Amino acid sequence: MIKRLVIGVVALTLCLVFIGTALAMEKGNPRKGKYTYRKVYSTCMARGAVESPKPTVNPDAKTRAQWEQVFANRDFAQFGCDQEWAALPAEDVNDIYSYLWEFAADSPTPAKCK
Amino acid sequence: MKKIFRNKLYFLAVLLIVIGGLVCAGAGMADEDREENDLAVSPGRALARKAAKPQQGWTTTDHSKHPALQGEFRKGAEITAACLSCHSEAESQLHTTIHWTWVGYTDESGKRLGKAGDALNNFCLSANSMQDKGCMACHPSWDGRKEVVNCLACHGQKNINFGEAFEDYNAFADSDDPDEKEIAEEIQANVLAAAQSIGRPTRQNCGECHFKGGGGDGVKHGDLDTSLTKPNKDLDVHMGVDGQNFECTRCHTTLEHNIAGRIYSKPAFTERKSLIEDDLTPKITCESCHGSTPHEPGHKANDHSDKVACQSCHIPSFARVNPTKMSWDWSQSGKLKDGKPYKEVGPLGKEDYLSIKGRMTWAKDVKPEYRWFDGSMKTLTVKDMIDPATRVAVSAPVGDQGDPRSRIFPFKVHQGRQPYDKVHKALLAPLLSGKEGYWATLDWPSALAKGQAALGVPFSGEYDFVESSYYLPTTHMVAPKQNVVGCIECHVRTDGRLASITEVYLPGRDRLNLLDTLGWVAVLGSLLGVTLHGLGRVFTGGRKEE
Repeated sequence: MIKRLVIGVVALTLCLVFIGTALAMEKGNPRKGKYTYRKVYSTCMARGAVESPKPTVNPDAKTRAQWEQVFANRDFAQFGCDQEWAALPAEDVNDIYSYLWEFAADSPTPAKCK
Repeated sequence: MKKIFRNKLYFLAVLLIVIGGLVCAGAGMADEDREENDLAVSPGRALARKAAKPQQGWTTTDHSKHPALQGEFRKGAEITAACLSCHSEAESQLHTTIHWTWVGYTDESGKRLGKAGDALNNFCLSANSMQDKGCMACHPSWDGRKEVVNCLACHGQKNINFGEAFEDYNAFADSDDPDEKEIAEEIQANVLAAAQSIGRPTRQNCGECHFKGGGGDGVKHGDLDTSLTKPNKDLDVHMGVDGQNFECTRCHTTLEHNIAGRIYSKPAFTERKSLIEDDLTPKITCESCHGSTPHEPGHKANDHSDKVACQSCHIPSFARVNPTKMSWDWSQSGKLKDGKPYKEVGPLGKEDYLSIKGRMTWAKDVKPEYRWFDGSMKTLTVKDMIDPATRVAVSAPVGDQGDPRSRIFPFKVHQGRQPYDKVHKALLAPLLSGKEGYWATLDWPSALAKGQAALGVPFSGEYDFVESSYYLPTTHMVAPKQNVVGCIECHVRTDGRLASITEVYLPGRDRLNLLDTLGWVAVLGSLLGVTLHGLGRVFTGGRKEE
C-alpha cells in the first residue's frame, strides 16, 4: 500500500513538474528569444569557441513536439557553446524555447536563423 | 670530328645569347612598349585598356557624416526621405524606369510588355500584374509594396533584413524592460550603419535580383548567377577580382537612373559605337571599348565581326561554376507522397522535382545555341494566340542573316511545359504565391482563374500543358583568350556549333559540288602540269642555262 502511494506521489509530482515546465515555457517572449539566441553565439564566437555568430541549430530543424522535449529535458548539448548555455537565466532559456517553438518545422512559419 | 663538335658549340652559344637577349628585352619592356606591342597584336584589348582605367573609387561625400542620416529610423520610408532630402530628383527619375515600372512599353494593340504587364515566361510564368507577392521581393521598394523607393536595394553596401529589423525595433523601442531597450538600441545601430553605408551599385546589389532571376540562383540566366559575386578571371575576364574587377555599372552605364543594357522587345542598343567615336555612348556593346576590328591586323577573326557577335567565340560555355536550370515541366507538379508535397534533389545538388513546381533539369558548363539576333526579343503575352501542336516560343530572338544589325549570337534555351487555355488558344498565367496561389493549394483551375483575373484576361476553364521554349542571350562569363571557341568548332563538317545557322555558306561545313569539282580539277591540273614540266626537263636535258 505504502509502495503504491509512493509511486503515485512520485508520478504525480513528475507530471506536475512537466506540466509546470511546459506552462512556464509558453510564457516566454519569442521575439526577445531570437536575439538572446543570437547573443549566445556572438558571445561564444568572441571567446573563440565557434567560428560564426550564426546559431548552429535552426528553429525549423525540429518540430514543436521535439523542441518541447529538448527543453523539458534541458538537453542543450546539441547547441554547443556549453558555457553560455549554462550561464543563461531561466527566463532567457524560456524566451529561446519560445522562439524555436514558434518557428518550428511544423509551425505555420518555419524559419531559419539569419 | 672535332671541327663539327666545335661548330655545334658555337651554334649553341649563339642560340643561348639570342634567347637570353630576347628574354631580357621582354622583361625590360616598359609599359608603353607593352601597350604598343598590345596595339600590334590585339588592338581591341589595347583600346579597351585605354578606355577603362582601374577604378579609383573616389567619392566627394561620407554618408556617415550627413545630418539627415543621424536620426532614428522606424521604417524604410524614413530612410528614403533622408536620401531624397539631398538627392531630390532620384525618386522621380527612378519612377520612369523599367526597374520601377516593370513594364517596358505598351504596344499599339494595348499589350504591356514587361513582367508587370502581359508578358510571360516559362519559369514562374507571370508576375500577374504585380499581384504575385513572391515576385515583389525583387522590386526596389520597401516591404514588397510598390509605394516608396528603397534606395538601399541598389546603393546599400551593408545588407541587413530591414523588414525584421524595423518590426523588432518597433516592438522593443518603447518597452520598459531594460533588456528589450538594449536590444532595440542594437537594432537601431545596425539600421543606422546600413543606412549610412552607401555607394555605387556593386555586383552584390545587382546580383541580389539578377543572379537569382526565376526564383533562385542561376534559375533563369545561364550567364548570371552568384558565382559572379566574386568571380575569378577564368570565369569572367572583366569582372574577375584577380583582374579588372569590373562592377556591373562599368558596362551598364546609367543616365538618370536608366540603366543601359536591358533586352526586351526593343533592342538593348541601336548603334554600335566606340568611345573614340562618342565618349558619352553607353559602354554596353563589346565594340564600345574594343572597336569593331579588335584582333591584330590581318587576323581572320576581324572579318567575322560584322556577322558573328563577339560573345559567340568569347563565351564558349555558360554556367561554368554553378548549375543553371535547363527545363521545367509544370505538368508534373502536384504529386504527393504520403499525402504531402515532397521534393527530390538531383546529382548537381539542385531540386529536380518539387510538388509545387514540377520536374526540372539542371546542367553545368553548357554550350550555347546560336541564332541571328538584332538585340531585341519577341516575347509572348497572355493575349497572344498560340499553336499548341508546336513548341511555343515564349521568347525568341529577332534578327536574320540579311539584316546588317544582326549577328550570330549565343543563347541559353530553356525548355518548358506550361499551361494554356484550350479554348482561347493562349498561354495561361496562374497565381502561384500567397494563400490562394498554386503553391499553397496545388489546385490548377483555381490558381489559373485567379491569375488570369489579376491580369484582366478571360479563362475558359479548360486547360492543358504545351511545350515551350525561352531564349536568354548569353553575354556574361567572357572567357580568357586561351579558352575561346576555336575555328574548328564551327568550321567542321558535322555537329559544329553553328549547325543551326543554315542560311549562310560556312566554309569547312558546307559544300558545293561544282566548287569541289572545280577545286579538284585545279589540283589535278596543277599536278599534271608540274609532272609534264618535270618530265620535259628530264627529257630535254635540264635547264637551258646549264
